[in-house]
Amino acid sequence: MTFEMPDFWLALPEMFVLGMACFILVLDLFLPEERRGISYFLAQITVIGAFVSSLWVAPAGVQTTFDGMFVSDPLGTFLKLAIYVLTAGVFLYSRGYLRDRALYKGEYYVLGLFGMLGMMVIVSASSLLTIYLGLELFSLSLYAMVAFDRDSLRASEAAMKYFVLSALASGTLLYGLSLLYGLTGSLEMSQVAQFAGGHAGEHYAFVFALAFVLVGVAFKFGASPFHMWIPDVYHGAPTSVTLYLGAAPKVAAFAMAMRLLVDTLGPLQASWGPMLVVLAVLSLAVGNVVAIAQTNIKRMLAYSTISHMGFLLLGLLAGTRTGYSAALFYAVVYALMSLAAFGVVILLSRAGFEAERLGDFKGLNERSPWFAFMMLVAMFSMAGVPPTAGFYAKLAVLAAVIDVHQTWLAVVAVFFSLIGAFYYLRVVKLMYFDAPADPEPLTARLDLRVALSANGLLLLGLGIYPGLLMGWCLAALH
Amino acid sequence: MLEGYLPVLMFIVVGLLVGSVAIMAGFVLGRRRPDPAKLSPYECGFEAFEDSRTKFDVRYYLVAILFIIFDLEIAFLFPWAVALHRIGVFGLAAMGLFLTILVVGFVYEWKRGALEWE
Amino acid sequence: MTFELFIFYLFAAVLVFAALRVVTVRNPVHAVLFLVLAFFSSAALWLLLEAEFLALVLVLVYVGAVMVLFLFVVMMLDINVAVLREGFTRYLPVGLLVGLAIVAEMGLVLVRYFVLPPGSAPKPVGPDFSNTRMLGDLLYTHYVYPFEIAAAILLVAIVAAIALTLRRRPGTKHQDPAAQIAVRRRDRVRLVRMDAEKKPE
Repeated sequence: MTFEMPDFWLALPEMFVLGMACFILVLDLFLPEERRGISYFLAQITVIGAFVSSLWVAPAGVQTTFDGMFVSDPLGTFLKLAIYVLTAGVFLYSRGYLRDRALYKGEYYVLGLFGMLGMMVIVSASSLLTIYLGLELFSLSLYAMVAFDRDSLRASEAAMKYFVLSALASGTLLYGLSLLYGLTGSLEMSQVAQFAGGHAGEHYAFVFALAFVLVGVAFKFGASPFHMWIPDVYHGAPTSVTLYLGAAPKVAAFAMAMRLLVDTLGPLQASWGPMLVVLAVLSLAVGNVVAIAQTNIKRMLAYSTISHMGFLLLGLLAGTRTGYSAALFYAVVYALMSLAAFGVVILLSRAGFEAERLGDFKGLNERSPWFAFMMLVAMFSMAGVPPTAGFYAKLAVLAAVIDVHQTWLAVVAVFFSLIGAFYYLRVVKLMYFDAPADPEPLTARLDLRVALSANGLLLLGLGIYPGLLMGWCLAALH
Repeated sequence: MLEGYLPVLMFIVVGLLVGSVAIMAGFVLGRRRPDPAKLSPYECGFEAFEDSRTKFDVRYYLVAILFIIFDLEIAFLFPWAVALHRIGVFGLAAMGLFLTILVVGFVYEWKRGALEWE
Repeated sequence: MTFELFIFYLFAAVLVFAALRVVTVRNPVHAVLFLVLAFFSSAALWLLLEAEFLALVLVLVYVGAVMVLFLFVVMMLDINVAVLREGFTRYLPVGLLVGLAIVAEMGLVLVRYFVLPPGSAPKPVGPDFSNTRMLGDLLYTHYVYPFEIAAAILLVAIVAAIALTLRRRPGTKHQDPAAQIAVRRRDRVRLVRMDAEKKPE
């Protein structure tokens, strides 16, 4: 029997996160209620440790191990680093929120870490099997997190909807993957790609499999018409979980699209390109138009997610390196914007009060000019107003689309962004020109204030000087 | 190769026969003289006042799902045991890690009190 | 038709029948039992394919454990079938339309374009061949990475199930054998020294 010893070194971050998550799970059982903070700090240490170890073990080129199931490449390293930063931010933001609502439990962090581990597995998957298992690990953690506030009827309903729809999407994806395996006899992405490129005779069979795979990917993005779960889940989940859902998973969804569509089914770009056009245009339309009618900020941001995913898909469908790097830039910037916007929602909430309605933002400028400004930056960035990061992200995607001579798509995207600007600016108007309905002073903790400020300033900084992040994105896709 | 399973097939057939013959015999030979009183639901002599379906406690579900997880673990042990002398120390370590992760789950389960019925 | 083929068609027919009954039968408990039958027939089909281990695991895990869970859930939910069936006819036209569209599309692709690469049917293996050992050879070496991820998934399932469903009920009266055993005499009996009183005269 020939068996090559795998290079465990490359999987050091994964092993570290797994070990620490198990450790926190057991330790938390023995902690008294008032020492719960230890679990939080250990979770943060885990994320930082994963960050350091990912940088440490990153090889210069592309290396696969575990018999071609695990790949370590610059794209994977970059995506993982982004996921760590976003997850650490989510843990930091949600600490006070959880504490105020009797949700401050070790399981939240353990599930969050396992979700992160699932995303890491997706990011460094080079086999259809591992990408599916990573997706399951990640989704399973998220279902539980959405239902974490188990006495809340709305959260249970959201978790149920998410679970049923997501299981259906996973099944569809699995069906597509099994077709690919049946056609090529291999689970390894590079071999599937080689086979798909070399056998033009079975083109339609591959397109058939592609359609199923694409449904699964589109569901994870929440791209229309597979977006039905997004508003209900964003709305129903505790805000701390919505924060988690809105940030790192978008980067993971990008990773999934890159691995499955580009690395595996790259030779079929002529087929999935037009499919993505449909998804992108529908997402832009549905997201931006329906968001106008929302009065709940979480639902509004949920629809805004759908429209942003449409934008991200535009970058992917260009099918060029600049297109991919623009999409990657967009994914990271969108996750940061989402973190900032939901962070302000958390900042305004306090024990027994959820700042969910748009009306809760009235007169924020009088209550706290600085955080009103942070929200202004987040909203401007989402709307794509210069000089914020969102503007540059949209610009890069549009440039990539125009590069491949699909100018009409760019026009459509700009048109819907203009519609979308309305509801972002409505929030700004409420903050600056309306009298506050709720005169209570803000009572957020110092760490949340500092992190949120850093997040907002980062959006501004990346808008003024996008070259650094863009350079990393380009280098990652070498 | 498949001939070896012939006894299993015979067993299934005999099992089906025994089961169906017993029911059919009762159906064919039994006397049936239904009247409204016999057909009405009987609940200690008074009218039924509740649906016969009642909710099960969620704890049964918890026990069942924990059982499935450890059932799966056992299923993974079979091929491992058969191939252990061929996969050597590496296989032993792989299963060791697998079991360690599940033992963490078991410790969690125990300490949380999921195994207690109250 | 060989005997083997006859057995195949027999179990396949039972499988299709059971699967149809799962969705058409009125009583959800009966639906679960038909699902058991469906799993059992597919296990028999796998056995015909000489995938003995998988066939037995299907019976062991699905019929033995998952179906018990399904039964619990069906009973736990206390499903009122009549309410569930409301709106069935209302959605039927839309459902049929979507279903037909999918069937037509799939049929078009499958019939016209889906040409599987010509391959020979797998040959029957000898009596010395052990499916289980082949799985063991691969699962814990080549597939060690997915195998350990599976462990992590099972762990998350444990944590999720307990975190979401376990509740402490205050005020339940139950025995705690450990506390009963740990009891010392002084916890239960207090010997009080009382001097005898003088009998009143």
